[in-house]
Amino acid sequence: MVTTYLRRAYTSFATHIYDVPPRRLAFMFLLLFLAFPATNPPQYILLILVIVNMMAIFAASWDLLVGRTGQMSLGHALFFGIGAYTTALLNVFTDLPLWATIPIGMLLSFVTAVAVGYVTLRVKGPYLALVSLAFPIILIGAIFYFKDVTGGERGISGLPRFFPYLGLYEQRLAEFYFSLILLLVSAVILYKIAYSHTGIVMISILDDEVASKGCGINVTKYKVMALAISSIFASLAGGVYVHILQSVSVGTLSVDLSFMAVIMTIFGGLGTIYGPLAGAFVIQLLDRYVLNDLIVVPSTWRLLIYIIVVIILVIKWPRGIARFVTDQLGDISKAREIEERGSHIWKKYKKKKK
Amino acid sequence: MYLLEVENLTKRFGGLTAVNNVSFHIDEGEVVGLIGPNGAGKTTLFHLMSGFLKPDSGTVKFKGENIVGLAPHKIVNKGIARTHQIVRPFRHLPVIANVMVSLKSPRGNKKIEWIKTIERKALDMLENVGLTELMLEPAENVGHGDLKRLEMARALALEPDLLLLDEPFGGLNPLETDFLTKSIQRIHLDHPTRGIVIVEHKLYALMKIVKRVIVLHEGEKIAEGKPEEIAKNKKVMEVYMGKAM
Amino acid sequence: MLEEIIIHGAITGGTLALLAIGFSLIYGVSEVVNMAHGAIYMLGTYFYFILTAPPPYGTFQLDVIPAIIIAVGLSAILGAIIYRFTIDPIIEDLVAVLVVTVGVAIVIQQLLLIRFGAFFRGVPNYVEGFRTILGVKVTNSHLLAFTVSVILFLCLWLFITKTKIGTAMRAVSQDREVTMLMGVNTVRLTMLTMSISSSIAALAGILITASTTGVAHPTMWQTPLYMSFAIVILGGLGSIKGTLIGAFIVGYAENIFVYSVPGGSYLKGMVALAVMTTVLLVRPKGLFGKRVELED
Repeated sequence: MVTTYLRRAYTSFATHIYDVPPRRLAFMFLLLFLAFPATNPPQYILLILVIVNMMAIFAASWDLLVGRTGQMSLGHALFFGIGAYTTALLNVFTDLPLWATIPIGMLLSFVTAVAVGYVTLRVKGPYLALVSLAFPIILIGAIFYFKDVTGGERGISGLPRFFPYLGLYEQRLAEFYFSLILLLVSAVILYKIAYSHTGIVMISILDDEVASKGCGINVTKYKVMALAISSIFASLAGGVYVHILQSVSVGTLSVDLSFMAVIMTIFGGLGTIYGPLAGAFVIQLLDRYVLNDLIVVPSTWRLLIYIIVVIILVIKWPRGIARFVTDQLGDISKAREIEERGSHIWKKYKKKKK
Repeated sequence: MYLLEVENLTKRFGGLTAVNNVSFHIDEGEVVGLIGPNGAGKTTLFHLMSGFLKPDSGTVKFKGENIVGLAPHKIVNKGIARTHQIVRPFRHLPVIANVMVSLKSPRGNKKIEWIKTIERKALDMLENVGLTELMLEPAENVGHGDLKRLEMARALALEPDLLLLDEPFGGLNPLETDFLTKSIQRIHLDHPTRGIVIVEHKLYALMKIVKRVIVLHEGEKIAEGKPEEIAKNKKVMEVYMGKAM
Repeated sequence: MLEEIIIHGAITGGTLALLAIGFSLIYGVSEVVNMAHGAIYMLGTYFYFILTAPPPYGTFQLDVIPAIIIAVGLSAILGAIIYRFTIDPIIEDLVAVLVVTVGVAIVIQQLLLIRFGAFFRGVPNYVEGFRTILGVKVTNSHLLAFTVSVILFLCLWLFITKTKIGTAMRAVSQDREVTMLMGVNTVRLTMLTMSISSSIAALAGILITASTTGVAHPTMWQTPLYMSFAIVILGGLGSIKGTLIGAFIVGYAENIFVYSVPGGSYLKGMVALAVMTTVLLVRPKGLFGKRVELED
């Protein structure tokens, strides 16, 4: 009995992951990642990797919104920052543990997303882009104004960490695996949403909003839903980030951070969910390690280079969603049922793929 | 109570009156044609009936309820589905997923028999229009004639009580036209209570299917009646051929 | 107190109108949301600074008027270049335009950051002294900024309504395709619009910065940008009249707010946000918005 279960798990793994080359690659990478701490890296490297994991969640969340429904958010740092500041302020002014304050930050972010979404997405026009760019900048102004409470330009430091009972290196190790788990869970959830029936509806909104309405879809509801879900993960990343670094600053709301989401996602592949994850790893490791410690390039130059590259990429290939949808249809549409119904069609399709 | 009752519908675009005080009604199970020269206001009328435009005055009553001012997707969920003059497929989605979108709407979802999955129902819809071969093909790779059939499948998946077809024969070759004619007739027979309104220029194909014809010219209804009567109507001929007859 | 609000509100409104009209113009003519608009405002200010400052910051040390002319001219050329090489290739894809124009803005920000560092003084007041109007003290530079704004706005108004090119612009904003069919080279027209928009933005930058803060720093492009948003959303995307009226409303609202809330200049953005939110909730078209709701 156990063997049948194992065998089924193995077949499932083989067909869903091992047989699909990009996924196989991702899986190998995951194994490498899991084993990495065995090489006894210095603690700051582990720190970088933890931050990278959070950036990956941030990028993937942006991709769900922009790569699926096509609604452009230029201020995604807003949600990152709300997650960050909520948990920071709650930790300063109340006795709540970070395990409570981070989810509260996510809730606040969700509410904000619904409000912003409702206001900007009901009407046709670039309004989300405009408001999402303006909102975080204005919020920074408010943070400066209330600087006695928020720490203003200097921010707040001395925030509690995740596993205070551990020594520094063990702490980093624990954070490393913890952030990895968070990343995997978030990535799976975002992926499942993007590649589900709901995801199909979202793509229809991206392709032709009018036709989608003509199919009876409440387009605004889906757009706001995408924004809201996206904000939850962005704020999760923000909340965790702040307790890893044990400090918060207005950098968590900056335009540069918002645009980082754009850079990571476009680099990795808009609309795929796993693309932004890869993009996040490449760009963040490049930015925080390779170009920071190995070959030292000043931060202002680094951002400049990434953006120029992104601009060139966008101009040469104005966003096009990868052909993933057809390839992944096997997941979405219970292949077995279609096989029964039109097995000759399925075989023909499989043959064409080979 | 009529299935659809349009009363004194008017729509202006700045100085241009696209639809001028148009009134007519559709009964359950009727197949009606809507014809008129280019610019007569036929597509605008469709927009007004499906909620994509709001009229300046007049009412559109669907099953007795005035639907003017309702959001387009709400009107769809009440039972009016339409196809577009210029096809609007979801380019990045495969053909079957295009139909699945309709099935994700409240109405489409409700109409799925409980043992079926969305994919199965979508496949059934594709069978109705003969598109199963292209099921997994991304819509952007599909030819025009097939896309027109896809539009139909998408609309039919909603099992509407009123089906609006905007130039379904546009751009089809004689073989496709023949197939479509038979399809529409079959759809009508399968759902005798469903009303169908067809805007079309290919009159020879249209007159074979419809029981009644409404003629529009410059936004106004100028004639209404059986196909044979309309074909002999002097005013209609004038309007199509020009006064030099 | 009331007189102060009336006078200062008018001045703010006038200068804001100059800032926002460029943004509104390019959107009206080509449906391009130019996120780099604030960056050009900033760049104009920096150009002016470079041209007038003594060493070690600048080497030219020009007089005010030639410096302004050159700064504005450079910005106009730059605007056209930005349009031609980064916007025009992707103009059909609104999302891509948004990404690229923000990218350009950040590129400019980074370049200035590299060259000049994070904070920079040095946009001096070119006109000293002040006058008293209706019992309110008004600096001469404020007055000058206001006057120049009004005059320029009028010139722009005349240009758009009376000249052939202006009429072409209005035609393109109403129906791009038909205008193309009429033989108008919309690409060149848009490039011209972009130049005009950029030069006005640069001029606004110089005028406003010199008369208010006197400081230039590489992130100063953000505030003018979202102020433009608020004004244009309020006035209605694509309407010049709306932009003018919207600018004055926002200008007054801002002044009233700053007077009511002590030390409230950090919170000024709240006014813009409140304006945007209210308009989108109550009347998304804005005051004079002309985009029809038709989906096709």
